[in-house]
Amino acid sequence: MIERPHAVVTDPDKCVGCVACSQACPTRAIRVKNDLAVIDDELCIDCGTCIEACRYDAIRPRTSSPADLKRFKYTVAVPSLTLYAQFGDDMHPGRILHGLRQLGFDETYDISWMCEMVAGATDAYLSESKGPWPKISVTCPAVARLIQIRYPDLIPNLVPIETPRELAARLRRRRLAAERGLDPAEIGMFFITPCTAIIHSIEAPEGLEASYLDGAFSITEVYGQLLKAIKNSPGVDSTETISPRGLRWAMAGGEISSMRNANTITVRGLRDVLYVFDRIESGVFQGLDFIEAYICPGGCVGGQLTVAGRYLAQRNIRQITKHLGDQGAVNEEKVRSLLREHFFDIESEIRARQVRPLARNLRQAIELKREKDALVEKLPHKDCAACGAPDCETLADDIVRGNAKLADCVFMRLEELEKQSTPRQGGDNA
Amino acid sequence: MPTEPREQTPDAHAAGGEVLYSESFRIAGNDFEHGGEAAAAIKAILKQLGFPTDAIRRLSIANFEAEMNVIMYADEARMELAVLPDAVRVTVADRGKGIPDIDWAMKEGNSTATPEMRARGFGAGLGLPNIKRNSDEFSISSTVGVGTTLTYVVYANGNAEGAAR
Repeated sequence: MIERPHAVVTDPDKCVGCVACSQACPTRAIRVKNDLAVIDDELCIDCGTCIEACRYDAIRPRTSSPADLKRFKYTVAVPSLTLYAQFGDDMHPGRILHGLRQLGFDETYDISWMCEMVAGATDAYLSESKGPWPKISVTCPAVARLIQIRYPDLIPNLVPIETPRELAARLRRRRLAAERGLDPAEIGMFFITPCTAIIHSIEAPEGLEASYLDGAFSITEVYGQLLKAIKNSPGVDSTETISPRGLRWAMAGGEISSMRNANTITVRGLRDVLYVFDRIESGVFQGLDFIEAYICPGGCVGGQLTVAGRYLAQRNIRQITKHLGDQGAVNEEKVRSLLREHFFDIESEIRARQVRPLARNLRQAIELKREKDALVEKLPHKDCAACGAPDCETLADDIVRGNAKLADCVFMRLEELEKQSTPRQGGDNA
Repeated sequence: MPTEPREQTPDAHAAGGEVLYSESFRIAGNDFEHGGEAAAAIKAILKQLGFPTDAIRRLSIANFEAEMNVIMYADEARMELAVLPDAVRVTVADRGKGIPDIDWAMKEGNSTATPEMRARGFGAGLGLPNIKRNSDEFSISSTVGVGTTLTYVVYANGNAEGAAR
């Protein structure tokens, strides 16, 4: 595996050099060189689209290892709500939490109630905010990254409220430290994640100096053991804190479903996110108050690192909430007072991550832009990706930056060969 | 009936100088389908050239307003981009009915938008003032029955809020 500061890593032994990932990548961060997909760290937003696109299992998430648990005196598993959605048959969340604890954690910590709290805080924030509109949720870290890289104009639209997972981890860590007389650093908190974006958000968070979580295991990797544990140790842990309203956050639409403000929309899946953000940037959608957006279609239940798949997962969540009743678990006045105390605030500013221009110097950049335009004109417009870049324009960009050459294009090479092999006809122009 | 060209021109011309790069975009009146594309294309160019994010943001707001103005009110226009050493200048010259009272049109809240336009979220009477607010230099001239020409400049390191008021 190639180590990089991202949650998505490629395996040279499995990669066959096809271009499926390169063509699927929304930020054009992948080039295939010498039969190996190489991901550009500056452009990658860890959305995991490449993992889904790869048929050879050559792109993997970088998760924690069981050895990481040993670094801590006390360990906590913080499951994504999506974990509750993996089982069906009316599987009670208390049984899942009980099973999860058997996998080597000292305790588990549910975050559904915190999701409901954050929905209330978002409501209160919207009623006090002065714009710019619409406000955009930061729940999906890949969406936040996409905004930093591709839509920096929309950074002021991000809701400056921390995610439920980080807020819950911070709160639990502090309480545990006090209750058990531990140094907060001796407590290991591990998220059970449905996606790569959250793994990266733990390693390199935005809006936070450092994550309150210490690592993540994927739902796919714990699923088998968990299923066994549930069978072998059929206890039920307390689910007092579980909020059926909060549970809906696992699905796209869940965030706005428990809000009072109804001037809101949900945007599902990468393609729609790009469609909507392009328009917000152009000034359309200003009449909306709030947008919850997910890179994965269907929201978190559609993450790449899940087992049930988004359709069954949606059914499962609906069954659980029906089973538990649809009551809220959160006191609204409490939420407002916590908001005033800045409990929900993000801790540091989210900044634009400017993607490198063609050159630092304007005149040089213009020179390269002209060269690039001429190359785009010359290239075949097939966007076949055989050169290793996802499309002709990106190849032109790579060429003027000195990272590729025209002969990487098979059509250009063919043209060159034909020129050489065709004997010159004695024309006037020869 | 044509009237004399009317102008609102600032004194400052700090953004003069050599045009390093230029490109021209055609905007067709009533073409809501492609509304915003010229503004988006200009934004993409300036990103590649490494213009500061804030300057690109302000210019894009102005461009989008100007482009939608053409689509809603004019027959057609050319949006001309000129990249200068420390600024970007955009000129939008349209063929259309012109603006009889520029002072009136420059006031926030004044609009001649139809109910259909308002239903699409336009016509708040913020278009022209918004362009001026987001640019560092701004001028407008119009001849009734002929058309309107807007020129606005955004400095690479300016801070607008109607710097050239």
